[in-house]
Amino acid sequence: MTTWAEKYRPIYFEDIRGQEEAVAKIKDFIKNFPLKKRAIILYGHTGTGKTALAHAAAKETNSEIFELNASNLRNKEKLKETLKPAIEQQALLKKGKIILIDEVDWVMGEDRGGIQELSELIEISEYPMVLTANDAWTKKLAPLRKKCEIVELKDLDYKIIKDVLIKILRKEKKFIDNKILTEISVKTKGDLRAAINDCQTISKLSSEDQIKTLFDERNKEEDILDALKKIFKLKATNETLRTFDQIDMKTDEIILWIEKNIPLEYQDKKLAKAYELLSETDLFNGRIYKQQYWRFLVYENIFLSYGMASLNKENKTNFTKYKKPTRVLKIWMNNQKTIQKKSISEKYAKHSHISIKKAMKEFPIIKQLINSNPKIPEELDLNEDEMAYLKG
Amino acid sequence: MDKEIDHDSSIWTEKYRPKEFSEVFGQNDIIKRVESLTKAMNIPHLLFAGPAGVGKSTLAIVVVKELFKSTWRENYLELNASDERGINVVREKVKNFARTKSLGKVPFKVIFLDEADALTPEAQQALRRTMENYSSGCRFILSCNYSSKIIDPIQSRCAIFRFKLLEKKDIEKVLQKIAKNENLTMHPDVLEVIYEGSEGDCRRSINILQSTAAISPSINPELVSTMLANTKPKDIKVVLDYALAGDFENSREKLLDLMLKESISGQEVVKAIQKEIWNLQIEPEIKVKLTEKTGEIEFRITEGSDPFIQLQSLLASFVLAGLGKK
Repeated sequence: MTTWAEKYRPIYFEDIRGQEEAVAKIKDFIKNFPLKKRAIILYGHTGTGKTALAHAAAKETNSEIFELNASNLRNKEKLKETLKPAIEQQALLKKGKIILIDEVDWVMGEDRGGIQELSELIEISEYPMVLTANDAWTKKLAPLRKKCEIVELKDLDYKIIKDVLIKILRKEKKFIDNKILTEISVKTKGDLRAAINDCQTISKLSSEDQIKTLFDERNKEEDILDALKKIFKLKATNETLRTFDQIDMKTDEIILWIEKNIPLEYQDKKLAKAYELLSETDLFNGRIYKQQYWRFLVYENIFLSYGMASLNKENKTNFTKYKKPTRVLKIWMNNQKTIQKKSISEKYAKHSHISIKKAMKEFPIIKQLINSNPKIPEELDLNEDEMAYLKG
Repeated sequence: MDKEIDHDSSIWTEKYRPKEFSEVFGQNDIIKRVESLTKAMNIPHLLFAGPAGVGKSTLAIVVVKELFKSTWRENYLELNASDERGINVVREKVKNFARTKSLGKVPFKVIFLDEADALTPEAQQALRRTMENYSSGCRFILSCNYSSKIIDPIQSRCAIFRFKLLEKKDIEKVLQKIAKNENLTMHPDVLEVIYEGSEGDCRRSINILQSTAAISPSINPELVSTMLANTKPKDIKVVLDYALAGDFENSREKLLDLMLKESISGQEVVKAIQKEIWNLQIEPEIKVKLTEKTGEIEFRITEGSDPFIQLQSLLASFVLAGLGKK
């Protein structure tokens, strides 16, 4: 059985949702090849359509595609062996060809010579090369940046994701409750592939089970509430260290729950101490991501469980109604608005010779200014979404 | 029709932006010197230092218009260092622009790099090499708030001009001219309020005037104040006041609100808190303690920690400080 993510993979440019700018740029790149650049880097989070965009470009230009990814590229020699012939060879039947190097930021993990070699190969390539990466701005890719057009793929808006899911469900003649669909679309944070996969899994369930998955979420909630009770109410024992072991929840999420509820339990000195512990935990969290050194998790766990409980001089018996973390949702909703604010600021900044940062800072007055005369939005070429944001 | 007015624009800062040297108010000495350099059809690299809204960008544009006349757009590139992601982008754009020959009589093109002090010292080193490599076909005009943030090798390659904050009478001239043209009546005290609200920034002064004029063409100080009050971002002080009074939950709610609604980054908040400490009614010893904590938190945020968690930890310290006060 093919997965839906495969089955409904976009084929043409018009199938790719929410990436109009990137589509325009890759079209332009291929049209001009090799006058400007010989390679283009498409970067963005997982599931935003980087690889799909490369394949669509091949389809639209009736080209064959030559694809390399993390699994078949390890080092300089291998790269020479496989890629070099491909960029020189005439394509069969005089068709065009597009060279796709997928996940370039992962490919060249250990081997620095690899990036250098790739950079040299780009210069002599007779075919347009498309590289994909999660982040184009890492140090590692610096030698490539000069030789490549760089194009960002944006995180997809949840509305677009939901729309795609609905269309797929309709074709598959399956039904998922609207609430659950919204939840999938928001939770996957712009990763369309993950959303389609979730959708497929849930669609197999009977409608009772679909509701049960919602309950599972709620069970999870009971578990964490239980854990909070342990660390906030009981004296620390070695048992406390295992509080979070039984819970199926990522540390990041646990941190949010604790962050939200500390002030309900601790005041003054203890409050400061508890947040100090949380702050330390967060510091280790950052170090784990940066250095990929997972042993630091041990410290996080100790601070979050035993550390918090150590503030209790004796067991407490009072009842506290803990709250659900809300700030992630708030931030997410707010980001949707910030996008408009930023794009308006960009247009104004360019027009009035100041930096975007400064325009963002002065936004309140700029907003008044733009609203003061209907000719100004026109002059700044604001679109409907931006106008709606200003009016709201 | 008045030739010096750009009738295409409805935004007054653009409509009335000076197009010739004679129209620039204030900075008389600088104008004279730059004008004579420009009239000789050869300029060195220039460094304009000074506060925001005193005419640095405007003068740069006047220079290129004078040099290139009708072909100025083809021979001029404007970049803003604080928006460009890394020096590589700057170099890339600079290179692409400088590579092609200039059009017309002038043997060079001009690149205006605004807010150059936003570049790191390393990036400035790279910029310096770029300036050298393309010096034959390209002149740079750099602008910055503080010339001390520009590395010496770049300073030594530029003619430096230090712009003064515009005086009230300069801003007044600009606003009077606009008022006359737009048929506004201005109460004599209006200037004071606008000058205060704009901190001497000419562009902001004009924006304030235009936003107020949209309410009524007869402008009085109260009207300006009302308009300004609407645009003032919520104060960090409220957040700290709650914390000092021991109300942690309200304090952090306000903080999150502030950060989200005004899109203020964690780093900006820490900076504001650090400054606000000096206005608080607390013992000197506690001020120092809070500053220490603030410094540590700022460090953690720059290291990539979650700003909101770190700031909550900081607010908890303010709660403690508030206890000492009682």
